[in-house]
Amino acid sequence: MQKSLAKHFPLFVAPTLIAFLISFLIPFVMGVYLSFTEFTTVVDAKWVGIDNYVKAFTANTDFINALWFTVKFAVVSVVSINFFAFITAVILTRGIRGTNFFRTVFFMPNLIGGIVLGYIWQIIINGYLYKYQVTLTYDAKYGFWGLVILMNWQLIGYMMVIYIAGIQNIPNDLIDAAKVDGAGPLQIIRHIIIPSVMPAITICLFLTLTNSFRLFDQNLALTNGAPARKTAMLALDIYNTFYGRNNWEGVGQAKAVIFFVLVATIAYLQLKLTRSKEVEG
Amino acid sequence: MAYSRQKIFNVIMFFIMSILSVVFLAPLFIVLMNSFKGNLFIADAPFVFPSKETFVSFNNYLNGLSKTGFIKSFGWSLFITVFSVLVIIIGTSMTAWYITRIKNKLTKFLYYLFAFSMIVPFQMVMFPMSKMANILNLDNPVGIIVIYLGFGAGLSVFTFSGFIKSIPADIEESALLDGCKPLQTFFMVVFPILKPTAISVAILNAMWIWNDYLLPYLVIGSKYRTIPIAIQYLKGGYGSIDMGAMMAMLVLAIVPIVIFYLVCQKYIIKGVIEGAVKF
Amino acid sequence: MKKILAFVLIATLAFSMAACATSSGTMEIYFLNFKPEIAEVYDKIAADYEKETGVKVRVVTAASGTYETTLKSEIAKKDAPTIFQINGPVGFQEWKDYCADLKNTKLYSYLSDKSLAITEGDGVYGIPYVVEGYGIIYNNAIMEKYFALSDKAVNISSAEEIRNFETLKAVVEDMTAKKDVLGIEGVFASTSLNQGEQWRWQTHLANLPFYYEFKENKNYCNTVLAGLAANEIEFKYANNFKNIFDLYIENSCTPKNLLGSKSVNDSMAEFALGKVAMVQNGNWAWSQIAGTEGNVVKAEDIKFLPIYIGMPGEENQGLCIGTENYFAINSKVSKEKQEASIAFLEWLFSSEKGKSYVKNELGFIAPFNTFEENEKPTDPLAKEVLAWMEKDGVTSVAWTFAAFPSEEFKNYFGDALLEYTQDSKTWDDVVNVVKDSWKSEKAK
Repeated sequence: MQKSLAKHFPLFVAPTLIAFLISFLIPFVMGVYLSFTEFTTVVDAKWVGIDNYVKAFTANTDFINALWFTVKFAVVSVVSINFFAFITAVILTRGIRGTNFFRTVFFMPNLIGGIVLGYIWQIIINGYLYKYQVTLTYDAKYGFWGLVILMNWQLIGYMMVIYIAGIQNIPNDLIDAAKVDGAGPLQIIRHIIIPSVMPAITICLFLTLTNSFRLFDQNLALTNGAPARKTAMLALDIYNTFYGRNNWEGVGQAKAVIFFVLVATIAYLQLKLTRSKEVEG
Repeated sequence: MAYSRQKIFNVIMFFIMSILSVVFLAPLFIVLMNSFKGNLFIADAPFVFPSKETFVSFNNYLNGLSKTGFIKSFGWSLFITVFSVLVIIIGTSMTAWYITRIKNKLTKFLYYLFAFSMIVPFQMVMFPMSKMANILNLDNPVGIIVIYLGFGAGLSVFTFSGFIKSIPADIEESALLDGCKPLQTFFMVVFPILKPTAISVAILNAMWIWNDYLLPYLVIGSKYRTIPIAIQYLKGGYGSIDMGAMMAMLVLAIVPIVIFYLVCQKYIIKGVIEGAVKF
Repeated sequence: MKKILAFVLIATLAFSMAACATSSGTMEIYFLNFKPEIAEVYDKIAADYEKETGVKVRVVTAASGTYETTLKSEIAKKDAPTIFQINGPVGFQEWKDYCADLKNTKLYSYLSDKSLAITEGDGVYGIPYVVEGYGIIYNNAIMEKYFALSDKAVNISSAEEIRNFETLKAVVEDMTAKKDVLGIEGVFASTSLNQGEQWRWQTHLANLPFYYEFKENKNYCNTVLAGLAANEIEFKYANNFKNIFDLYIENSCTPKNLLGSKSVNDSMAEFALGKVAMVQNGNWAWSQIAGTEGNVVKAEDIKFLPIYIGMPGEENQGLCIGTENYFAINSKVSKEKQEASIAFLEWLFSSEKGKSYVKNELGFIAPFNTFEENEKPTDPLAKEVLAWMEKDGVTSVAWTFAAFPSEEFKNYFGDALLEYTQDSKTWDDVVNVVKDSWKSEKAK
């Protein structure tokens, strides 16, 4: 096998690899390099050392604000999404009437794109706030909670489906045996369901965490940073730095590198942490 | 006793879930409702039914269609999504098979490289990537398929590899020994086994590409508008938002997805679960 | 599943074939348009021009407030815009490397006042294509109704007699008190503070205090040059700006806290529907007023009033007149494309068909000698601008905002105004933001 297949590298791997080089790997390496330069069109880069990194934090407070906003947002939405998704998954595995219908409905928003979602919720939230004579642009907290609600609406169904798959894998006799032993519903959840669905929890945390950190479309459509960039998350802030002003491309790229390191670190730590729990369970 | 308590509990849960379903569907309904109201009656009172005064029939739809060129956008979205997904499925499954079955330093390195690309945020590469696309003449609806193949490679190769690892290599080996060419072996023997994974990969990629905004905006946005670009353009492209047209276009953007979902629901949910389990 | 897949594939193929059939390779020029409100007119012009000459004009319009962003990403592409626009000397400095010398073109020779062009050394790099004016647009029908009231609090009897801020304020406040009698929801249309919709305040209204501030610098013969030379500003007339801004937001048809979601189009619609009596905007807004469905404002009732901010001697102040629209030709594209682009602009401003588009549909007051006296635009706002320019003893206010340091400066200013409106910033904060961001943006 090794011999007859090995020589077909150009046929099997090269097409994907070339596309991968063009759209990901070369731009990635260039990106790291460019973050240490001043450039406008990538061919005119001048080395400036860590200037861009310094500027990202010191020239104005946009980046730091975006960082905090993103962290707060990620914490709140990861917790709320997984909480609700898990609860609904538990309920929908008890064989109540209409389970299939509910599952269909809850999952649906996940298929709708971020831009469309953003505008749907903009209408609804502004319409609601209108009663109090304010709008989303009035205070950053409206934008914050707006994004949290939007993300919940979009992702609860998705995560729920994954949890359901996890729960359905638990052998029924395990739960039955616990019931015979007199365990209440909460005890069953804590001692049987949660440990058994640990792999699903790992995945769901990973997906919600990376999705929350990298959120862009929804942010762009719902608030676009208003008021005064206070609701701009990292991805949006980086985009604005790149395209919003001349000669700031280097700073944008430096912010992007920091962003990448942050996301990678968090994803790595989270996977490591929950995977270790999986082994215990 | 315990039995009836459970029954009561289930009935209560049924009601809670029903209410929650209404909450989940309401936003879509509100958009649909407002798409029939006049431009100026939407922002102030989105929760009010259209009345005689505010009802504009299909005007918003006609208006929005002409402003955004939505039908064209729909075509481009469909074209790009369908062909990108096809190319991704074929390209990455072949790659995954090769790097899983041929074990050497290079394939191991490639495997980790593909996996690594999954967590890199798009902003990290967006600027150099759109330059590359422009320089290499990939800034058109055909060229962008190459970009999507490159970007989709991470998740797809990873998912396929995960599955290929779990299937024994015996059949493939005997096919190869029987004198089948590797390409033949792949499509006649391996690919049919990969089909469930292929569906899952196809669905995950289709959901992503169909809804993607920033990548196509940066690469082809000034010439070809996909649906998300058309909707975003409606916001600022004409001096200001035409709320009515916006609502109508949101409805048109959602309807095909909902239909597709209801038809292929089984595959979509399965695909999502399998995609997640492969992690 | 298979059937669905087959159907989708066939539909896609059919579409892609249709798409291929329509694209063929001819000369194509690419015009990156700045003015979204007239995007649709340009599409028509492009179609006509292609019919006449076979040259394809691709018109791309940047969404409101994103021209710089779009230009930046587009111009670095291989298929870059061949015609783009710069907003004045500041814009020229940014885009210098891309501006072709237009000294030897007919387009430049058409320019009635050559000093309007953007020049450096011997070269001509930007050609203004429209002269515009802005002020407070008012609906005279409502004003006449007010002045006919027996219990009005002022002793003038027509809007034309409003010649300073004091009178304006008295009239506006009294009108607000009587808005039910007048059948309006407020005197001023919404002060649009949505993102990308703030230019009427952070650029146009801000022009006035800075015009007066820079006028006091006697070292320069005009306010733009003085502004360009200023590394720091005093914002000396900040309070005058506050006066008029407060007047707008306090007497608006929209409660203050909702202004952050309002757009320019909303404001123009409110005016067109007769819900308000006044709105600050320029003559380009005519198409928006006329295009509003259910428009009740008659053309002959639409008039202009200068923006008074309480400066001594403002009785003789006119409208703010100038341009921030200069055509530039991309010097980095092929010679043929540059020439084809210039030919298109020359056609637009000198052929009969082009000119009729300019005066009837684009509504430009074009500063070119190819336009006869009787070929001036016919819409009421353009006519008003021309009338104000010719008034004896009235000095127009120059567009000093051409000297503002950057788009970023304007955005900071606009964001601060929004927060001031929503009571999360004090006026002093706003003044500091303006001063600091001027300084920091200049320092770059």
